[in-house]
Amino acid sequence: MTKKTALIFGLNKYAYEIVGNVKDKYEHVKIFTLNEDEVEKHIDEIEIDSFDLSDDWIDIHKNVDVSNSMAFCVLENTAENIFLTISLRANFKDLTIIAIASNKESANKLKMAGANKVIPLVETTSDIIANMLEKPISSKVLHSILYKESALKIAQIKISKESHFKDEQLTSIDWTRYNGIIVLSVMHDDMKSEFIYSTKAKHHVIREGDILVVVGYEADITEFEKKIGSRRYVNWSHWSW
Amino acid sequence: MLKRWILDFAYYLDTSKSYQRRKHFFYNLLENDKYRYKKYVDVFMIILIFISVGVLIREVKFHVNDYLMFFSNYIISFIFFVEYILRLWVSSSVSRIIVARAEHDTFLHKDVNLYKAFEEVFRVKLSYMLTPKAIIDFFAILPFFHELRLLRIFILFRVFKLFRYAKSFQTLASVLATKKFEFLTLGIFASVVIFVSSVLIYVMEGNNPNSPINTLFGAIYWSIVTISTVGYGDIIPVSHEGRFVAILVITAGIAVLAFTTSLFVSAFTEKLDEIKEAKTIEDVTKLKKFYLICGYEEVAKEVARKLHSSKNDIIVLDDNLERVITAKKDGYIALNYDPGKVESYTKLNIDMDKQVKAILCLREDDIENVYAALTIRSFNKDVFILSLLMNDLNRKKLDFAGINNVVYPQELVGLITKELVGKPVAFEVIHELRSENADVQIDELGITQRIVDTFTTVGELNNQDFRVVLLGVYKHSRDRFFFNPLDDMLLEVGDYLLVIGYQVFIKEFEKYLHTKVKND
Repeated sequence: MTKKTALIFGLNKYAYEIVGNVKDKYEHVKIFTLNEDEVEKHIDEIEIDSFDLSDDWIDIHKNVDVSNSMAFCVLENTAENIFLTISLRANFKDLTIIAIASNKESANKLKMAGANKVIPLVETTSDIIANMLEKPISSKVLHSILYKESALKIAQIKISKESHFKDEQLTSIDWTRYNGIIVLSVMHDDMKSEFIYSTKAKHHVIREGDILVVVGYEADITEFEKKIGSRRYVNWSHWSW
Repeated sequence: MLKRWILDFAYYLDTSKSYQRRKHFFYNLLENDKYRYKKYVDVFMIILIFISVGVLIREVKFHVNDYLMFFSNYIISFIFFVEYILRLWVSSSVSRIIVARAEHDTFLHKDVNLYKAFEEVFRVKLSYMLTPKAIIDFFAILPFFHELRLLRIFILFRVFKLFRYAKSFQTLASVLATKKFEFLTLGIFASVVIFVSSVLIYVMEGNNPNSPINTLFGAIYWSIVTISTVGYGDIIPVSHEGRFVAILVITAGIAVLAFTTSLFVSAFTEKLDEIKEAKTIEDVTKLKKFYLICGYEEVAKEVARKLHSSKNDIIVLDDNLERVITAKKDGYIALNYDPGKVESYTKLNIDMDKQVKAILCLREDDIENVYAALTIRSFNKDVFILSLLMNDLNRKKLDFAGINNVVYPQELVGLITKELVGKPVAFEVIHELRSENADVQIDELGITQRIVDTFTTVGELNNQDFRVVLLGVYKHSRDRFFFNPLDDMLLEVGDYLLVIGYQVFIKEFEKYLHTKVKND
């Protein structure tokens, strides 16, 4: 189940980038700003509203299906961003919150404040730079798989009731039968993804609801889905960091 | 005729590449501290010096083996002689002086005055021969004529040759040279005190039969021993007048000692930063490969840490002293140089193309990064430059400045959120692969000739046996990545295997690739 509404808190360069990348994936995108003067602005015909940190969020309670929404907390002031996150979490238990953090310290605080996922800017940027320099080929390939419109895709496929693999041991499956795709990992009940060659995964018997992370070309992934009788799937309930 | 012949020969030497190359080689070997093989020559010469001095010490009370004596007196002296001649040769260029004189005179439509040229050659060579180092080198050769007993003492000059090889002596000399005037003042003061007190004590005690001071030399000796506050006590004044002079000399001695000590301390304090900087630059010059980071802010700190953890050397340049101190505390070589000045790189004295893996402009300010990049590009077109971009509006400016790769953190946030929204689990898997702390990692294994000799196709690699996933092969010849290649794909030298697995298994797999020998 994908989310329907994106709530972006903060009107800045991060908000612009997020809007540019996710507007097509949501039915509704709404931006909230702390500065009332910015309410008149419009970005790609997206509605902008104001909020303040002492808000009781009545508007959101009334107008937004919170359990089916995702909040992006991108205020540039770290303290305000943490306060916003804790405020949202206190009011909306089921809201999925993604927040940006300037460094590790504020990332920890944001997690404690209830963010589901924190993007630590400094660490992420430096990871990218270090990988570009030390592992340029893998960096290029992974970047293109993840972010670019390349033919090579990464997908997560949920094992359904009718799947061929159901009740089979992971290591007993001959993956070479499925030419063109590579299975990287499997995620099961304990909500942790396991590398395909890990000791845990080796003895794992595939059950309904497991998610396989595969890499391959679009056509091959579709073929793979057909063969094993499962579909691509996103379930945010699985996602709780 | 002779003049013509000399001029032709000078022109020939001045333009001969092989002659200049040979001369340059010897110059590097003897004088260029940055030349990698010079240290071997230095060590060899130091060993010869110690052998020589060892023989001299042994000879005082024992008989020294004849062969060893021969080696010390003739072979070592001969080697030192050759070294002296070579140093004299490389100290200046005779041919260049003659050519310069010829060009000068021809330009003025005059006859070439070789006499003046040789005069110049003599002056230049003599000025080298009169330098302290050259004088020591010269005296170190003299024991060759060891039959002349007096000349044997010149073996001691071989010890002084150590000054040439020990940099700390040179540093000490350069530090003390900065206080030349103060030391001269001190020297004059001490000399006057010694002279006056010597004369006084001699006058007071010279005729006293009970006094041990009965010559002027004895009086000078007593004055120096007293003024230096050493006071052996072997010679003491016995008269009241003599003791009064002693009180004056001791008082003056305290002043001389205090002045000398403070001069040394202040000279070193003033030069300490310079000495440290010179040492740092020397360390940088010795590094084979390193990353040069311009600006040490938050992202730079993390990047430096990650690169350093994968065994890379890091050099940090920053014009802010506080950030430089932080970088030093974090364990990197850091210099308080402005990355936006050519002078900073000139001072560093590095070979950009050979030593620098990449330059990272990581100031969180586009203006500073553009400025640093342009500075670097002004003298080097090829070195790889990566830069942070803080505002997308400046992207073109960074490209124009010649930056090869730009990282824009805000864009990353957008891309990450996009991927997180669509495939959270898959995203986490990939993110984990890139993270330095994860057990499972993605790695690149280069294909060498040795590997190709044993494994000709992808199918022969047996990566599954090592629990390693082969994501694909990057074909260097075609600059293309082949995902999940078929077993019959041929491997070529220069290709890279992109593998995913536990770090320990990847290492084992890599070892297997390099060590397995084909069984025919």
